[in-house]
Amino acid sequence: MSDRLERLVNLTATLLDTRRPLTLVELSERLEPSYPDDKVARRRAFERDKETLRNLGVPIVTEAVDPLTHELGYRVRPEDYYLADPGLTDPEQAALHVAVTAVRLDGGEAREGLRKLGGLEGAAAPPLATLEGTSGLGDLFDAVARRRSITFDYRGETRALDAYGVVHRFGHWYVVGRDRDKDAMRAFRVDRFDGPVEAGPPRAQEPPPGFDPASALRSDPLTYGDDEPVAAHVLVDAARAAWVVDALGEPAVVQRRDDGSVVVELEVVNREAFRSFVLELLEHAEVLDPPELRADIIDWLRGVAATA
Amino acid sequence: MLAMVPWILAHPGITIRELAERFEVPEAELEADLALLPMCGLPPYTADRLIDVTVGDDGSVAIRLAEYFERPLRLTPSEGVALLAAGRALLAVPGSDPGGPLATALAKLEQALGAQGALAIDVGAGDHLDRLTRAAETGEQLEIDYYSSGRDEMTTRVVDPIRVFHALGAWYLAAYCHRAQAERLFRVDRVRAVRATGARAEVHPVDDDEELADLVYRPEPSDPRVKLRVGPDAAWVADSLPIEDATPRRGGGWDVVLAVSGPAFLERLLLQLGPAATVVGPIEAAKAGAEAARRVLARYEEG
Repeated sequence: MSDRLERLVNLTATLLDTRRPLTLVELSERLEPSYPDDKVARRRAFERDKETLRNLGVPIVTEAVDPLTHELGYRVRPEDYYLADPGLTDPEQAALHVAVTAVRLDGGEAREGLRKLGGLEGAAAPPLATLEGTSGLGDLFDAVARRRSITFDYRGETRALDAYGVVHRFGHWYVVGRDRDKDAMRAFRVDRFDGPVEAGPPRAQEPPPGFDPASALRSDPLTYGDDEPVAAHVLVDAARAAWVVDALGEPAVVQRRDDGSVVVELEVVNREAFRSFVLELLEHAEVLDPPELRADIIDWLRGVAATA
Repeated sequence: MLAMVPWILAHPGITIRELAERFEVPEAELEADLALLPMCGLPPYTADRLIDVTVGDDGSVAIRLAEYFERPLRLTPSEGVALLAAGRALLAVPGSDPGGPLATALAKLEQALGAQGALAIDVGAGDHLDRLTRAAETGEQLEIDYYSSGRDEMTTRVVDPIRVFHALGAWYLAAYCHRAQAERLFRVDRVRAVRATGARAEVHPVDDDEELADLVYRPEPSDPRVKLRVGPDAAWVADSLPIEDATPRRGGGWDVVLAVSGPAFLERLLLQLGPAATVVGPIEAAKAGAEAARRVLARYEEG
C-alpha cells in the first residue's frame, strides 16, 4: 500500500515536472517504485494510478507523442494542476469551515475541497441544514463553469442545453440554461434525468450578460413546462389565502374580497403542476377560469369521486 | 497528502498535532505519511531530488525540495460545487452577514473556479424564521398559530423551541409542544403568528449527531398505514414521500405502504395522484379519497 502511495506522489511530481509528454515506457524507466515488467500488468497498474489521480483532481492529459506510431504520452500541465489561489484570509477560511459543518450536502466533498484550500481553520458549527445530494452534480457544475453544452435524456426525450447555472431549491437540484432545440430558457430537475450527462468541449457557449440562475428558475414548478401558456384565475378562501399569497407573491393577487378570500392569477405552462397546486388546497380553492382548466379539474375530480 | 504538503511548505514549524486537527487525519497516519515522503521526489531519486522532511522533537514539521507541490492542487468540480453550495446556503439564511468573511470567501472562490453566478442556493425563509431561531437560542417560550397540514386546521399552541433546522427543502422548528405534551416538529412556513408568553422555555437536550433528515420523517407508530398501487408515471411517490415499504410490480409501477400523518394528507395525495394510483387498503382510505373529491366538486357544482 505504501509503495503505491509513494509511486502516486512520484508519478504526480514527475508528470508535473516534465515539459513534454512521457510515454508509459519512459515513465516506467524513471519511476520508483517501478511498474511491473510485464507489459499487460504494467499498463493495468498505470491505468489504475491514472484513474486514482484523476479522481483526486490531478488533470493528467494524454497526447500523441509520435504522429506515425500514435504512441501516447502523459503529462500534467502546471497551469491545469494548480488551484488559482483564491487568497483566502484566516477569517474567510474559518467562515468556510463553519459553512461546511453547518450545512451538509449528502455525498458532498466540501471537506476535501477545504483541505486543498488549506484545511480547517477555527471551530466547527453545529448542524443547521442538510441539502440533498444528487449524482452528476459535479459534471453539471463543470459544464456551467467551463461553458460547455450538454445533452441528456429527460423523461424519455433527449435534450441539448447550454448549461448556465445550477440551483438548489425546495430540496431539489435544477440545471437552468438555453434549450438549444427550443431556443428558450428551460430548467430541469437533476434527479429526474434518465441517465448520465454528456458534456461537449469547453467555451462553447456564453450565458447572457448578468444571468442570474436563481431568477431564471422561477419560484415554483408551476412556471416551467411546455404547455401553451394560459392565464388562470383561482379563488382561494381566507383560511389559505395568506399561504398562497406568500407562495406566489403579492403581484399575483388580482382581487381581495371582503370575506378575506383572494383571487390570484397564474400563468399556467404546466397543467399537471397547476392541478396539483389547486388540489393541494382541497376545498379551499376553486379554478374560476379559463373554462378549459376549470373543466379539466372537474373531470379529474369526478374520476376520483367514482373510485369508491 | 497532496493537500497537506503545500500547507506545510507555507507554514514551516507547524506541529503534527496541529496538522492532524487541521486536516482531520489521525496523528499516527500523518506520521506514517510523513515517513514516506522522503522517498518521494523526481528521477533519478538522488538526495538532491528527494523531498526533505524534518520532524523536530517538539513535533514540528518542515519540508524542503518540493517546489512542484508549493501551490495547492485545484478542486475537482464535485469539491467546488459542494463547497460553494454549503457556503451559499449558509449565506442565504436570514441573519448572516452579506458583507462578512463568508461572502468574501465565496466571491474569491467563485472567481478562482471561474464560476461567478454559476450556482444559487435557495433555502427559503418564511416570515418567522429569524424570530423562531432567536427564541431557540435564548430559550424563550412562545405561543404560535400553526396550520396543521395533515388535519387542514389552524391551531394555537405554547411551545418551548429546541432548535431550528433545514432539511428536505424546508425549515423546521423542533419544539416541546405543551398542547401535545411531547416534542413536535413544525414547518416554519406554516407558522402564521408568533407571540412571546413571557415565560422561559424548559431546556431540552439537542443531539448534534442525529441526521437532520431523519428528524423529519418520523411517522408515529399509531399513524394509520395505507397501501397504494401506483403506476409507472407516479414513481415520484416513492422518492418524495415517507414510504415504509415499496414493492415493484411486474410491468412497471409499485405497491407502496405509507404512514398517514393526518386525514388531509391522504386526501391531498389521492386527489393529486388521481388515476395514477389506487388504494389497495384499507377500504376507509379509498372512501376518504372519493369523499374528498366530492367535497371539492361541490364547490364547482354549486356555482
